[in-house]
Amino acid sequence: MYEYSEFDTAFVRERVAQFRAQVERRIDGALTEDEFKPLRLMNGLYLQLHAYMLRVAVPYGTLDPAKMRQLAHIAERWDKGYGHFTTRQNIQFNWPRLRDVPDMLDALADVGMHAIQTSGNTIRNVTSDHFAGAAADEIADPRPFAELIRQWSTDHPEFQFLPRKFKVAVTGSPNDRAVIKSHDIGLRMLRKGDEIGFEVVLGGGLGRTPMIAKVIRDFLPVADLLPYLESIVSVYNQLGRRDNKFKARVKITVHEHGIDRIRELVEAEFALRRSTFGGADQQILREIEARFRRPTLRDGRPADAYEASRAADPVFRAWADTNLVAHRHPDHAIVTISLKAHGATPGDASADQMRVMADLAEEFGHDELRVSHEQNIVLPHVHKADLPAVHARLAAAGLGTANIGLVSDIIACPGMDYCALATARSIPIAQQIATRFDELKLEHDIGPIKLKISGCINACGHHHVGHIGILGLDRAGVENYQITLGGDGTEAASIGERTGPGFPADEIVGAVERLIGAYLKHRESAEETFLETYRRLGMAPFKEALYGDERQRNAA
Amino acid sequence: MATKGKEMPLESALAPAADRVAHLNARYRNHAAQAVLERALGDAQVGRVALVSSFGAESVVLLHMLSVIDRSTPVLFIDTRMLFEETLTYQADVAATLGLTDVRTIRARPEALAAHDPDGVLHRSDTDACCALRKVEPLERALAHFDAWITGRKRFQGGRRAVLDFFENEDDRRIKVNPLAHWRPEDVQDYIVNNRLPRHPLVARGFPSIGCAPCTSRVAAGENPRAGRWRDQDKDECGIHFVNGRAVRGPQPAPQEEPEMNVIVTDRGFAPDDWTQGFHRPETLGEATGNGVLALDLPSDADPCDLADHLGRVTMIRVDFPSFADGRGFTLARRLRLMGFKGRLRARGHVIADQYAMARRAGFDEIEIAPDLARRQPEAQWRRRSAWQAHDYQSRLRGLA
Ligand code: HEM
Ligand code: SF4
Ligand code: SF4
Repeated sequence: MYEYSEFDTAFVRERVAQFRAQVERRIDGALTEDEFKPLRLMNGLYLQLHAYMLRVAVPYGTLDPAKMRQLAHIAERWDKGYGHFTTRQNIQFNWPRLRDVPDMLDALADVGMHAIQTSGNTIRNVTSDHFAGAAADEIADPRPFAELIRQWSTDHPEFQFLPRKFKVAVTGSPNDRAVIKSHDIGLRMLRKGDEIGFEVVLGGGLGRTPMIAKVIRDFLPVADLLPYLESIVSVYNQLGRRDNKFKARVKITVHEHGIDRIRELVEAEFALRRSTFGGADQQILREIEARFRRPTLRDGRPADAYEASRAADPVFRAWADTNLVAHRHPDHAIVTISLKAHGATPGDASADQMRVMADLAEEFGHDELRVSHEQNIVLPHVHKADLPAVHARLAAAGLGTANIGLVSDIIACPGMDYCALATARSIPIAQQIATRFDELKLEHDIGPIKLKISGCINACGHHHVGHIGILGLDRAGVENYQITLGGDGTEAASIGERTGPGFPADEIVGAVERLIGAYLKHRESAEETFLETYRRLGMAPFKEALYGDERQRNAA
Repeated sequence: MATKGKEMPLESALAPAADRVAHLNARYRNHAAQAVLERALGDAQVGRVALVSSFGAESVVLLHMLSVIDRSTPVLFIDTRMLFEETLTYQADVAATLGLTDVRTIRARPEALAAHDPDGVLHRSDTDACCALRKVEPLERALAHFDAWITGRKRFQGGRRAVLDFFENEDDRRIKVNPLAHWRPEDVQDYIVNNRLPRHPLVARGFPSIGCAPCTSRVAAGENPRAGRWRDQDKDECGIHFVNGRAVRGPQPAPQEEPEMNVIVTDRGFAPDDWTQGFHRPETLGEATGNGVLALDLPSDADPCDLADHLGRVTMIRVDFPSFADGRGFTLARRLRLMGFKGRLRARGHVIADQYAMARRAGFDEIEIAPDLARRQPEAQWRRRSAWQAHDYQSRLRGLA
């Protein structure tokens, strides 16, 4: 857990004071709505379909119990008693009043949190692997680097008014759990001899023109990180299009100029900027590393209770099979708490649930919590002996759903229920699919699969990288859901392919069921996942399941 | 050049003027006058084009630009028969000096004059009717053969011209091209001096804006240069220039005690502009002789690399902010500093108080804002951000704090 330095604390307080003044100046007219908009966006405040929405950063997804309890307090005091965890490791409050927002920001600052640069055309909250610091496959904890980038990008004077938003993700493992190839900049940690560095990829993104990021530098030494990032963003700031907001993301700049040309420009800029970082940044990086409290994990405590419960309790065993991941310490496990109870809104947690999770982190989890980009909460360091107790407490709070990585662990954007841009509902579709597969009792048999739903072409639900992606569109006033197959957000990233015509709302659940049926029929064994089967067989059997046999259709 | 219109071949019928105007303004937004004129003369979207000139105090600038690009372009000169003798002589001189080959003098039809103003006194009772007779109607006839015309109007001239764009839609019939829309008075003076152009003889006698003799008077020092046109009348255009084809006869802005000036913001607060030497554009930098002080106006899409050879002899650079949401200027400033520019660096345009710290941190020394912004966001709001060095992650990371 990173603890704020005095500088960080003073900085956040100062920002709240500035925003409080800006809200007053907006109310008295010194700021026009046009001028206020980017300022409120820089502080995470959106205007949505029904009300303002405050998006709070959870930098690199890391929380502690005090922070989680404060989020619960804010949800109760200024919102309707719940919060929504997003795919970018943020939490959103959907019902604040403009006048209350400065107070909410002060309450966040009390626990070292903020909403700075969670929206607007700036460098956004830096995201990272939600298993960082705990995963068995990690080269090094990526979060100190993410924090370094957070400090550098916060209030960066050149980059508050970029052509468009700019998202950076960092991962410290060869297995990419941070979807870095769908980010404007992705940093993948590598080891070269004794040296640690990053492969830098540029120009990924989802939205209406999904693109997989391209390699701009195959090995960037750690000491060059900030000047190199600064060079990329300054080239983008001058070159990025400002005439058309749909062409303004860096993925389009890269697409239009070519990655080689961009690399040339960036290297020229880098030559100019390298010397402006004289090593103070590396000193600060070491201080940041020291400020990440690391749990001291105890050796030798027996884990018998875990094995006993597994043998005795099938409900516990099902949960353990899906919701646990190997920890770097063999007596420990990484617990993922599902915020996807069948039929609930994916990613929502009530204030009471937040407190339960905070308590568990305090009692059993070395004070650590994580928010995953798949909209779940993670307890990264739990001793195996404590797992039965943790599970019992979670189940009692409605948080015991055993579906991580399964078909009902759906990512869904807010869609028509909250979002002003939506062309279709997404939450109700997610709820119906989850409920249906729960009834069928097939989830565990189907195994790992990623189903993702967006309510419009902006792709906040990451449908392009879902093994099954669903995109809600508006066809002449009627909701229509288009299906893509074979998307993948990991290190083997790929964009899903459209199956064909879409389905109306009342047929989409049946269509998904037919796809899963085809998979169960064609898979070589229970070990072969949906994605593997799709990659082996291609689109044909799935198309047939969705639309019927082509020859029959032609004959009809 | 005329083959430029890939999206709009010359042979095909032109799209509605409104569409073309929007498109042209977007395309040439950041171009300099010379470039706009050059493109206007060759752009298929503009069509057949003429320059309309009064051969007045500042007309020689556009006429010279035109003569350099294509001296056979039609130039329409409206002789109201009420002009100063000096204007007629000047017109002949300038046309000869610049080698213009197609100057067409436009006059009211004799029958019309005989019918409506036989004694030449209509201007005393009804200037609008007089202008309509002697300018608007004759020009309308002359322009019937053109798709577009070029004028020398400029935003600084004030009134309805304050919002002028490079391209205007005239009643969905024609396009008006205003290459000098963004020029300031210094630009005009610099251009005339640098190109050694002949001046209208009346300028030296206190007429900074020259129309017909009965309706033009001298202007006192400090007065708006156009104050001498139709003095004491609720009239500031003769009728040939309406804003987007509409004669808007709304109330005039209340007279100001003194002409309103832009405000310069520094850490010490507001101050009037102390820079009086004018500004060059990057493309005229090569022509500017290096004696004395040199200041440069940079558009937000400038490439700082182009300036590398000149930075040493430039005293001041002013970077344009067309909108506060356009952050290119911040990187431009930083780039110029990294390239070694040590002179005065000014941000000009739509920069808001909340951006003061960013501008200072990026390398600007000061900000130039318009009077209306200064009224809306008074000094106190800017001073609140004057401690811009505090709470700065950047300087910590660079070992500067
Ligand atoms: C409800 C209000 C929301 C609005 C109006 C909104 C709007 C948008 C828009 C317009 C884009 C496309 C930007 C572009 O490609 O230039 C976008 C992208 C994105 N949104 Fe949202 N969004 C909302 C909520 C959310 C939520 C709740 C999440 C997380 C669950 C989210 C996650 C994302 C992500 C990850 C992208 C990135 C896609 C990319 O990088 O190309 N958004 N959003
Ligand atoms: S994908 Fe569309 S509907 Fe869904 S949250 Fe984003 S903008 Fe809204
Ligand atoms: S300027 Fe005066 S005289 Fe000349 S046409 Fe206009 S009103 Fe008539």
